[in-house]
Amino acid sequence: MAELWGIIGGLSEIRGFQVVWENLPYFLEGALITIEVTALSVAMGMVLGLFAGLFRLSHRVLLRSVAIAYIDFFRGTPLFVQILLLHFGILPYFGINEAFTSAIIACGLNSGAYIGEIVRAGIQAVDKGQMEAARSLGMNERQAMTYVILPQAYKIVIPPLINEFIALLKDTSLVSTIAVAELTYRGNLVYANTYQAAWVWGAVAVIYFIITKSLGLFGDYVERRLKTE
Amino acid sequence: MIDIVDVYKSFGKLEVLKGINLHIDQQEVVCVIGPSGSGKSTLLRCINQLEKVEKGHIYVDGEEVTDPKTDINRVRQKMGMVFQHFNLFPHKTTLENITLAPIKIKGVPKEEAIEMAMSLLRKVGLEDKAHVYPANLSGGQKQRVAIARALAMQPKVMLFDEPTSALDPEMVGEVLAVMKDLALEGMTMVVVTHEMGFAREVGDRVIFMDEGQIVEEGTPEEIFNNPKNSRTQSFLSKVL
Repeated sequence: MAELWGIIGGLSEIRGFQVVWENLPYFLEGALITIEVTALSVAMGMVLGLFAGLFRLSHRVLLRSVAIAYIDFFRGTPLFVQILLLHFGILPYFGINEAFTSAIIACGLNSGAYIGEIVRAGIQAVDKGQMEAARSLGMNERQAMTYVILPQAYKIVIPPLINEFIALLKDTSLVSTIAVAELTYRGNLVYANTYQAAWVWGAVAVIYFIITKSLGLFGDYVERRLKTE
Repeated sequence: MIDIVDVYKSFGKLEVLKGINLHIDQQEVVCVIGPSGSGKSTLLRCINQLEKVEKGHIYVDGEEVTDPKTDINRVRQKMGMVFQHFNLFPHKTTLENITLAPIKIKGVPKEEAIEMAMSLLRKVGLEDKAHVYPANLSGGQKQRVAIARALAMQPKVMLFDEPTSALDPEMVGEVLAVMKDLALEGMTMVVVTHEMGFAREVGDRVIFMDEGQIVEEGTPEEIFNNPKNSRTQSFLSKVL
């Protein structure tokens, strides 16, 4: 115990450690905003992704084309560019100027495209005979989806969905570019004032890692639960 | 009950049905036999429009299922289908498998649907498995539940697509017994099968198909004891 205090006492002499220690509440507040942006984007992405995935598999050419165009655009261009385009180029015309809102719309649209592909793959992974059995009982396509296919697909999509959450959480660091005061943005500010690159960015990385690791462990837990069900 | 008029069907370049004509009477049990790839499963799947035909007409209970204007979902309720691989809903219990369609599609009150499902389960000898998930049933039990599920829609016709082909040999008998009971009750049945014993004993009529055509048809007696066509003779000599 005495040794531990010795180490901390020694560390507190180091300038970089002092910077991190003093700014820790500031960083954690930023981490909370990171989580907030991620959670709201994911919520939006899930709704968009469900429809994108369903439309992508639709027999109607119009719906399918819309879904393909949407997924292609948001998967085929950098999120960084999407954020800039939406925040400065498009959303102002809709009266949206607040960076936080732009960030959620950009990340939500982007993750919706990826989740759309996850949903499509999940639906296609359900055995073909399930749709046939449902249809042979007289269900129309929507009833078969609702009662038979989607309840089975959701178990299949959970692991890749958790993966997508983790990826998106890290990608929200890009919204620092439009001055959303999340974790990376705050890291940048503190670094610019102190030039303690290793300590500041090291601390930011550790905070990101703790959050993503927790999400990953939660994903493992959910997967285990689903397996035993 | 079922009229099939000059039906053609291809998968890409492969012609699987080449001008099928067939009439099936009410309460008739028709067994369709033939080598694999002869088109017998495809024919069955065309009857309830799981496959679309290219040419020709199919009528079920007076309604043309091949007419795009027909509400196929409504007509399908008159046809129960039993699949080779059971296709039970794995996320639902035995009871829920049976009650799902009556409750959601027909709007049968839940209590009533459960009551009917239980009596169907008694009929197939599985009332003790009502609250079990399909993963915990044997193959024969799964297929009996699948039959009960199809019957719950109170169909006028039952279509069986090789219902015992995916079963371990010792489980074939229990499924065939349920099917035989159904035939004795007067259900109209079309059975695609490799079970020659069943076709001979239960079938009113046996259809022999080969290369997308009906080669020969007749009573089980005629087909099994006195086949006229050489292809029928050679097929039966291999399987009997």
